[in-house]
Amino acid sequence: MSKKTAFWIFLIGTLSSAALFLWATYDTQRQIAALSHVDKLSDEVVAGKRAFQKHNCNDCHTILGFGGYYAPDLTRVVQRVGEDGIRFRVQHPERAFANSWRKMPQQNLSDGEISDLIAFFTWVGNVNNNDWPPQDSRKRLSRGEQMMVASVGVSPGAAVFQTKGCMNCHSLHGTGGTFGPALDKIGASLSAEEIRKYVTDPKAVNPKAMMPPQKDNLTGRELEEVARFLSAQK
Amino acid sequence: MEYRSQKVAYWYFAAALPLFVLQIFLGLYLAFSYTFTVPQAVVDVFPFATARAMHTNLLVLWMLLGFMGGTYYIVPEETGSEIYSEKLAFLQLFALLAIGVTALAGFFLGWTKGRPLLEIPPPLNYFVVAGALLFLFNVGMTMVRASRWTATQGTLLGGLVFLALLYLFGIPFYRNEVVDWYYWWWVIHLWVEGAWELVTASIFAFVLMNLTGVDRQVVEKWLYVEIGLFLFTGIAGTGHHYYWIGAPRYWLWIGGIFSALEPLPIVLMLVDTMNHIKERKNPIVNRLTWTYAVGCAVMHFIGAGVWGFLHTLPQINYYTHGSQVTASHGHLAFFGAYALLNLMTFYYAMPRLKGIREYDDTRGKYGFWIMTSAMMLMGLTFGVAGVLQSYIERVLGLGFMTAQSYMRLWMGATFFLGLVFLSGVLTTVTDLLTIRPKARA
Ligand code: HEC
Ligand code: HEC
Ligand code: HEM
Ligand code: HEM
Ligand SMILES: [Fe+2]
Repeated sequence: MSKKTAFWIFLIGTLSSAALFLWATYDTQRQIAALSHVDKLSDEVVAGKRAFQKHNCNDCHTILGFGGYYAPDLTRVVQRVGEDGIRFRVQHPERAFANSWRKMPQQNLSDGEISDLIAFFTWVGNVNNNDWPPQDSRKRLSRGEQMMVASVGVSPGAAVFQTKGCMNCHSLHGTGGTFGPALDKIGASLSAEEIRKYVTDPKAVNPKAMMPPQKDNLTGRELEEVARFLSAQK
Repeated sequence: MEYRSQKVAYWYFAAALPLFVLQIFLGLYLAFSYTFTVPQAVVDVFPFATARAMHTNLLVLWMLLGFMGGTYYIVPEETGSEIYSEKLAFLQLFALLAIGVTALAGFFLGWTKGRPLLEIPPPLNYFVVAGALLFLFNVGMTMVRASRWTATQGTLLGGLVFLALLYLFGIPFYRNEVVDWYYWWWVIHLWVEGAWELVTASIFAFVLMNLTGVDRQVVEKWLYVEIGLFLFTGIAGTGHHYYWIGAPRYWLWIGGIFSALEPLPIVLMLVDTMNHIKERKNPIVNRLTWTYAVGCAVMHFIGAGVWGFLHTLPQINYYTHGSQVTASHGHLAFFGAYALLNLMTFYYAMPRLKGIREYDDTRGKYGFWIMTSAMMLMGLTFGVAGVLQSYIERVLGLGFMTAQSYMRLWMGATFFLGLVFLSGVLTTVTDLLTIRPKARA
């Protein structure tokens, strides 16, 4: 092979790859509107993106899998912890992660910024991205969720536990928050009645309790169900 | 050293080395935060996020200073002329250092664009662009005035212009997060798997040609084939970052196929280096410089070629994406391809710039072997942590922090290996800054 042939290899290789790449970029630009739901890309979502960048959340958390690997991916965070869950964690990280061995900084975000962030996460969570990340895939339920769903069939209390914010602070099967204790074995130490009492008004049982009272959060029936469900976790 | 103006290169290298040391201290803080609990009060003031921005920006800054110094060293010899303006070269060095220091102080105070790896905020970015233009102008004018074109020179200039152009895509604010990541990769991927490879390939060709005395026509012929393959596989290979961002599904095919071919030019570079060394016409003086050349070719192949290939197919990347597997690859690849390349250039040029023909390489050898073995092991410990994470968090679907608790041991090992790595870096940097002639026996 001569140097001249080598030069042509270089030129043709580069140009063909660049041509394919630029064509695909053009086509991607055309399709992104639909794939990312640009019609829902409101000013609030954009403000949320600005807040996300302003506080450099992305150098601890990945989103769509890019960024720092130090903290949970936020692509589907709304689906995972809910809007209130996000609000609580961002407002009071020093409380939400008090018992975790890894901390998130208190960055004193305003309520407005947090609402914008939630709008942003909600929008990102609906991007059609080939069902990544696997742990939040609705098609492929995680092991933790499978156990939860299996028990929802037995007891609607599991559903209460999942949807009424208990998981912001408590975990089951390794999924959930760390502000409160993991409740996998709670049935071994507390009866359904004791749990019901505790959840209604923690301070009445333990004056030093940090758990907020749940009597306004839950209906009487939900309280019964969640207490029965937890007392079965042994 | 044949030309007076090559001397500026020395100052670029001398500025790059302390920044390399600083980068490692921040890396240690990151690994420490993975292993031990940093108290809330410290996290509030100096969070992981800030340290990560500093770690990665310092990395890019010292490597770019190294490339620029390398360019100022090579261009006079390749063109057979002095640099267009030495003053401009110094001005540009001070400007870049000032921008760098401002950026780091800014990160600490919360002044950031908040995009990973591209945290430098817009007003400062205009200065970065001005600095880059000064540099390209100075180098371009030198080449145009001398008008003695070679493939090595052309590749170098082409790579540098490409590098500067790509940076522009990282500057705007994009409203759409998907579009934002799409163009973020035009900077990150097309840099490390495109423009930087061109710069590296030409610097490497220059050093090999001069070390081994192998004929320019042979070296440059292979240079064309290498950069052709780099760009053929690397440009469309950008698609391996578009699998999960909300881009069309055909990127799984384009990205998967082209990026799976990306190791080819790297293998070629390795084979090529070995051949040139075997067919050398010059005796081996300054063995350490040769060790760096071979070490760079081998580690480039392992870190970028092998480690990159391992997680580039969509079926695997679905589980490893954005995990410590990525960090493992990022470290091995950056170290192998670009840290060792820069250090090789420093070991080639710095003694010559001081008029030392044969340097004493006893300390330097320790430096090389400590750094390289520690980094290889760190690649493995990051890697084990990453595989655990992919399995526990992504396959089993257990919580993020549950997975982290299993990874903790391995991140701790990374931290301790990082201390070893630091000792290697300190040895190397001291050696380079105080390099002395070999004592005649
Ligand atoms: C210094 C690193 C750091 C920064 C910066 C940071 N976080 Fe966090 N964040 C964490 C860590 C660590 C956790 C998980 C702690 C745990 O679960 O024990 C977390 C958890 C969260 C969670 C809960 C995620 C889940 O799936 O349970 C949300 C939501 C969150 N962070 C939002 C944010 C937002 C919004 C910002 C920017 C304003 C931000 N974080 C900045 C470290 C950080
Ligand atoms: C804001 C955080 C938070 C929320 C939300 C929360 N808890 Fe708690 N919970 C705690 C903390 C912290 C404790 C540990 C004792 C204390 O300080 O109150 C606790 C304790 C408990 C206990 C007693 C555990 C023991 O070992 O004695 C039970 C049972 C319980 N929580 C159930 C629930 C249920 C059911 C819900 C949802 C309806 C819920 N918690 C919501 C924070 C929370
Ligand atoms: C003591 C040595 C080092 C330690 C302990 C260390 C540790 C770390 C850690 C913990 C991270 C954060 C990863 C995350 O987001 O979770 C990181 C990021 C990074 N480091 Fe280092 N590092 C060291 C040296 C280096 C060197 C020598 C290089 C390059 C040659 C390098 C390049 C990078 C890069 C490119 C990233 C970003 C990775 C990514 O985005 O995937 N580091 N480092
Ligand atoms: C010297 C060359 C290279 C360097 C310096 C390098 C560096 C990096 C870095 C720093 C990242 C992480 C970016 C981030 O998300 O923050 C990354 C990601 C990646 N690299 Fe490389 N790389 C190189 C070559 C290659 C090659 C040749 C391949 C494939 C064969 C490859 C495959 C990948 C893949 C698939 C990812 C994405 C990982 C994920 O999904 O999280 N890389 N690279
Ligand atoms: Fe890439």
